Amino acid sequence: MIGYRSMIAVLLAFLVGVPPAALPSNHREAPITALDHKADITDIFAFVSYGPNQKSNTKPSKVTLILNVDPFLEPANGPTLFPFDPDILYEINVDNDHDAVADVTFQFRFVTEYQLPDIYTSVVGIGDNGANAPGTSNPVVPPQIRDFNNPGLNLRQHYNVTTIRHRHPGRGHQDFDDQGESSQLRNRDGSPFFAVPANAGPRTMDYSKLFEKGTYKELNLPGISVFAGTVDDPFWIDLGAAFDTANFRTLGSGIPGVLTDQEDSGPYLQGKNFASDTVSGYGVNTLAIEVPIELLTSTGEIEPATSPAATIGVWGKTSRPRVTVRRSPFSATTAGGWRQVQRMGNPLINELLIGIGSKDRFSMDQPKNDAQFAKFFLDPPIVRAVEALYGGALKVPAAPRNDLLPLVTYAAPIAAPGTAAGPIADLLRLNTGVPATPFEQASRLGLIGGDPAGYPNGRRVFDDVTDITLRVGVGGILAKGFNVFPNNRLGDGVNLNDADYIAGFPYVALCPDGRNRRHVDPGEAGGGPVT
Amino acid sequence: MNSLVKRLIKGLIKGLAIAILSLAATPVPAQVSINEVRSPAQQKIAWAQAEIGRNPKRYQPFNQLAIALARRARETSDVNYYAQAETALDKSFALSPDNLDGLKAQTWILLGKHEFAKAAALARQLNERWPDDVLIYGFLTDANVELGNYAEAEKAAQWMLDIRPGNVPGLTRAAYLRELFGDIDGSVELMEMAYQQTPPTELEDRAWILTQVAHLRSQTGKLSEAETLLQQALVLFPNYHYALGQLARVKTMQGRHGEAADLLSLRYRNAPHAENAYSLAEALVRAGRPADAQEFFTEFEVKGRKELELTDNANRELIFYYTDYANRPAEALRIAELELARRHDAYTLDAYAWALSANGKNNEARTHIERALAVGLRDPQLLYHAGAIAARAGDVDAARNWLKQSLEANPVSEFSGPGRDALAKLPAFSSAL
Repeated sequence: MIGYRSMIAVLLAFLVGVPPAALPSNHREAPITALDHKADITDIFAFVSYGPNQKSNTKPSKVTLILNVDPFLEPANGPTLFPFDPDILYEINVDNDHDAVADVTFQFRFVTEYQLPDIYTSVVGIGDNGANAPGTSNPVVPPQIRDFNNPGLNLRQHYNVTTIRHRHPGRGHQDFDDQGESSQLRNRDGSPFFAVPANAGPRTMDYSKLFEKGTYKELNLPGISVFAGTVDDPFWIDLGAAFDTANFRTLGSGIPGVLTDQEDSGPYLQGKNFASDTVSGYGVNTLAIEVPIELLTSTGEIEPATSPAATIGVWGKTSRPRVTVRRSPFSATTAGGWRQVQRMGNPLINELLIGIGSKDRFSMDQPKNDAQFAKFFLDPPIVRAVEALYGGALKVPAAPRNDLLPLVTYAAPIAAPGTAAGPIADLLRLNTGVPATPFEQASRLGLIGGDPAGYPNGRRVFDDVTDITLRVGVGGILAKGFNVFPNNRLGDGVNLNDADYIAGFPYVALCPDGRNRRHVDPGEAGGGPVT
Repeated sequence: MNSLVKRLIKGLIKGLAIAILSLAATPVPAQVSINEVRSPAQQKIAWAQAEIGRNPKRYQPFNQLAIALARRARETSDVNYYAQAETALDKSFALSPDNLDGLKAQTWILLGKHEFAKAAALARQLNERWPDDVLIYGFLTDANVELGNYAEAEKAAQWMLDIRPGNVPGLTRAAYLRELFGDIDGSVELMEMAYQQTPPTELEDRAWILTQVAHLRSQTGKLSEAETLLQQALVLFPNYHYALGQLARVKTMQGRHGEAADLLSLRYRNAPHAENAYSLAEALVRAGRPADAQEFFTEFEVKGRKELELTDNANRELIFYYTDYANRPAEALRIAELELARRHDAYTLDAYAWALSANGKNNEARTHIERALAVGLRDPQLLYHAGAIAARAGDVDAARNWLKQSLEANPVSEFSGPGRDALAKLPAFSSAL
């Protein structure tokens, strides 16, 4: 049984390999997803959509949902780059009646094809006219890839998006046998949705053109937009410091992992990095959909922030076909169902709180069953570990940590008074009635930075969930008496993404190009100190 | 045959887990000559003992020793190894109370000792504490299968397949459940996947899986395929008691009763358990050697009655002995009631129904045999019992239906002869008409 023994060895490797102070970034947090990168959810985002010229207090009309998978994609890493896995069912779920069970689901499935199966790489291209065999007019290299029909986009993926409104709210409809009312999204002109490949480099492709063409906004259902492809990983963090047992850099305050007011203040767009963004220069696979709010709420209306019906819970999930103990007599139609590989709501729960011996079960279970993990939510072992690391310089709240309940139930300050708390569940909760903050005014610290449209009220791509988590989860600043220095200045010193986010759907930044991408290291310009 | 079925089931429980529990690769210790032939479990015992010698304050080697001893129990079918394994575990817990691997080994040993209810309770506790541990789901599956809690067993086995797709313990357990649910082909499919994933160095594990596949093949009458697989198993692990028992069963179905008796005689010499004496005696009856058979029936009864009150017993064989050979139906029913108080799996329900019927309680017997068959299994013995009981109850149509199903499931099983006889004796039309 060495097959299993080796799996145990892998588990043990994780036991000794993950320090007690592991921090957010869902990059490979649970043993099972560490073995299945394609199905590994790195982040999920949900926020009220905003535009480049957003005005304050504009009534919300749409919500954008983004699911990121497959971490640390090095865009220089050919030849196959990073296609989505056609065997995986990618889903974004929305609970709108506060029972932690999906009422609306968006499903993405991919199909892979090779346009030039004899060519050695997944993407190839040069110039306006390509390159011919010397002295002949026989084309050898196709022109630079600027659209999805160029044969140089050798490995080409298209995808289907299905929206499902489940029929039986509150009745275990997380299974796939209840398809509810499902609709297939289509381009109005009938063309397929193509996935945008990773940016191999400027000779091969005009990535920005592909990105633009791969952002689909004219669909059969009005008001919906979709996008799928390899983009810049919108997450940023000093991961090296975090995973060296919270060995954060010593910055202006003189205390490791504690920022000064100057380092901490100001809107996101005026921020600066004081430490290196370990994720810089890497891509991630993103699946994004923007939908009218009416499609998400239980009432089918845009609800004001004061309405209990305004708040929804969002989680992403990846599943693979499963082998079942009992074979279906109708296997051709049911195909044995799916096994969930991972799910994610809040950006911290599994990696930061859940014990290593429970992470896979957490990944594979349903949010409505999360009460079984309450011991981890309300008395996170990591908090005591960080307290110990600070040797008494950091006082943290005692368990039970009821101040963390807004993350795992429908509660103030996110949900309006009168909203049913629902079961303990790891959902990303978004009050869809809260207007988006104009990008130039938005704070990376979200709610605790005085910006009501940011995490943990939903999550935008630029919300600094690392610092927010350190302050809320570890520092306990939502608990009475703990919103004090240094608890409210905990931070890793990375305050800004390395690439510019787009102020409109799909909101992420363009994929770094493989030839010229840069990973910013400590000690380099923009990478902060080594110490 | 009865004992064979039981042994195969025992094998599943005593089965793969132990090999899997050992966490470290086990190179041959320096002091052991590489020429010395040792089984995988013996090698692991030697290695664990050497580790204990080097590090007597570490609890892990005691766990490894316990696991290796329990694995040796499977290799040899000598249950005395469990007591030694428990002694090793006591030392592990003295050094580190409540350690996970020790608790897992303890659960495994409880299963090996047929303490199914205790094993299920401990496995449930461990599962709550460490829900990612695949093998703990395996223990939950095993204990619940034996207790007859098939829904819980299926749930746990499904978690094994979901949490670590393709893991060997999960595949073998799901395979067994598929067999119990009547999906023999599906069971073979999973067992073959398990075989492919078991490394060639794990000789006994591979032999065990081959024996299981052979059992499944012979269960549907594919005897030559089964025989080939069993010969391979016996090359991998010579004189392997499970393979000998299964091969004897194939010989019986082929009508080669003398060879079957020889194989069971060899097995009994290697593994002198009550139930193995019973199988041997039955084979000797079929081989036309009633005097020899009587000798082993007597030996069986003495040994079996000594275990009567124990959890690891030969009570199923005793029940069938008292109903089919010794004409002591009241004693059969007494023992069956004792067993039913402990568990309500399909095989226990079958034995209980057969004992009820032997006492003339045919309507009650029908309820229980049909409950057993409702699990889904297509076992020719249970189907034959259902037919015979229905015939005794006067329900000719039901009797014909069950007897035909027994023959369809396996036209050459040990029960095909009695099945055909019983069918022939049924009136042409139902007496109810």
